Amino acid sequence: MHNDKCTCWNCPAIDLAGKVDFRACGQSVKQFDKSLDSTQETHIMAECKRRPELGLYDPTAITFQECPEWQETTFGYMLKDMRVMILGIDGYLGWTLALWLGLLGCKVSGVDNYNRRNWVKERGAHTIVPIDRMNERLRAAKEVLGIDIDFRQIDIYTQRQRLKEFIEEVKPESIVHYAENPSPAFSMIDVEHAIEVQKNNVLGTLALLFTMRDTIPETSLLKLGTMGEYGTPLTGRPLFEGIFPADAILQWDGREWSLGGELTPRDPVSFYHVSKVQDTFNVYEACKYWWLRSYDIMQGVIFGVHTDQVAADPRLRTRLDIDEWFGTIINRFVAQAVIGIPLTLYGLGKQIRGFIALRDAMECMTRLICAPPEPGQYAVVNQISGIYSARQLAYTVAKVGKDCFNLPVQIQRVENPRVEADEHPFEAIYEKLPKRYGFEPKVTVEDEITRMFELFLTAEVKKRIEERKQVIMPKTWWSGVKREVERLELMDLKGEIEEDERIRMFKVHR
Amino acid sequence: MSESECLKFTDKTFKKEVLESNLPVFVDFWGSWCPPCKMVEPMMGELANHFDGKIKVGKLNVDQNPQTGSMFSIGGVPTFILFKNGQVLERIIGARSKKQLVEFIENALKSQTSKTSKQPKSQGVERSA
Repeated sequence: MHNDKCTCWNCPAIDLAGKVDFRACGQSVKQFDKSLDSTQETHIMAECKRRPELGLYDPTAITFQECPEWQETTFGYMLKDMRVMILGIDGYLGWTLALWLGLLGCKVSGVDNYNRRNWVKERGAHTIVPIDRMNERLRAAKEVLGIDIDFRQIDIYTQRQRLKEFIEEVKPESIVHYAENPSPAFSMIDVEHAIEVQKNNVLGTLALLFTMRDTIPETSLLKLGTMGEYGTPLTGRPLFEGIFPADAILQWDGREWSLGGELTPRDPVSFYHVSKVQDTFNVYEACKYWWLRSYDIMQGVIFGVHTDQVAADPRLRTRLDIDEWFGTIINRFVAQAVIGIPLTLYGLGKQIRGFIALRDAMECMTRLICAPPEPGQYAVVNQISGIYSARQLAYTVAKVGKDCFNLPVQIQRVENPRVEADEHPFEAIYEKLPKRYGFEPKVTVEDEITRMFELFLTAEVKKRIEERKQVIMPKTWWSGVKREVERLELMDLKGEIEEDERIRMFKVHR
Repeated sequence: MSESECLKFTDKTFKKEVLESNLPVFVDFWGSWCPPCKMVEPMMGELANHFDGKIKVGKLNVDQNPQTGSMFSIGGVPTFILFKNGQVLERIIGARSKKQLVEFIENALKSQTSKTSKQPKSQGVERSA
């Protein structure tokens, strides 16, 4: 088990309040004698909220493997009936994770303000996989999977007191923060939308951090970042996992310094990405000031529709958007293929990104929930399972569509409405999840694309794609221009995929 | 425990394992909340292997062991101190690469007569507590 050696120091059930002086490092309120006496007890002591019978004890003395509250699961030791609160539980990821964790035995609670539904509706789009109102979804979760989800409609920014009261009531041992607007294009529509995204994301997260400080400082926060925060440096410099390793060296003026522990450069490519970078700094600072503990999860572009839980019943399906604002690339490609629109590559279509399938993302989140960071630790993981160019993905969707579903899929290049490099090197470090947390991807791109075709070709979903096909082609230009992009080229699919188009995966092993 | 491993010191063990050690001891004073400390952590085992049998290498969490941190006036982490015969031979603050730490240790051992802590020309990352 990847987390068997973790101790109560990592555990959210620990109560350190007033027992550990985190400023012992040179700024301690308490000054110790300038002597070391091995008989004097100065080691830290703590209490366990789950096992009060332990009294005061050394929180480094008991491992997860030894503690009866931590029980073995497929994804590591997990707290029995672990209380996990999902912010943004009505969304694509939030709902999927709620069912996933519920079936693992977690006590799942969640909040949502239905912003996602409202934003999508405002753009004239809709989820192509129909979803019910929350009450119906909760009822279906109980009926089909036997899961009780404690849900409240709360806006984490404007209804901070309500969130605080809910947190005090539930006392979550892990908080998963999905309650953010995930759309670069939405943030670039106009000033109102840019403000909406930054307000929702930045201020919502900031409010959450203060609430956690005041109510549940030992709870681990899993906050979703994005690989897009790093940008795509044209030098080909690796995209480290958020923080430079100690052997990364800055050389200047004949001298050199270790960059170890410093945040790596961020180069956001939309006002949405800027909001995520601001989140990164806010979470980083909160960990530093208040010893909150957080994973900042730099997730690659997510795709897919399947987990065993959401597929268990049509009422349990998670939403799936394909419009220019909320539709991620693979999801959008498959929808285009199903209704005969040539797949749209922006510009050269040689943009390279990290990707991860929905099911695999759920496993990663679970493994991280099982391994809470240490007090004050701001940890970053790059959550991806493969690295592909837009062209590779278009070719793959076209091939699966043609070979498995007999669909005559075409690919077109259109003007790129974004300000980004169409062609660039890309090396992402992807080390912690496989090496430290035991994650191995289970879902191939081809398999998930196949599942998506199967679902999208059902009469109801296909009809819903047709109904909103006018919102697929981009009309939001980073420059502020308001017009639909024009086609540059209908591509010839007869040739083999070029050498540099082969699906590849970068891993860094030391 | 083999001396090629990175040892874990505590307030209780520091006197015996560090101050009374026959070998020089290189100690990484660190904190859970300190990103540079976390990035240096994997190198400590490598350093232990590099200096196998010549010095001991270990780390001490300053939050879990406040007495020792206070005694040596740890004002920022990571702080690295090389001890010999119970005395501070040399200390530096801030993350360093493995190469820099190896040079630091070797230079300190060569110039043992100097008891004062000198700051090297190149200052590394410093994180105040």
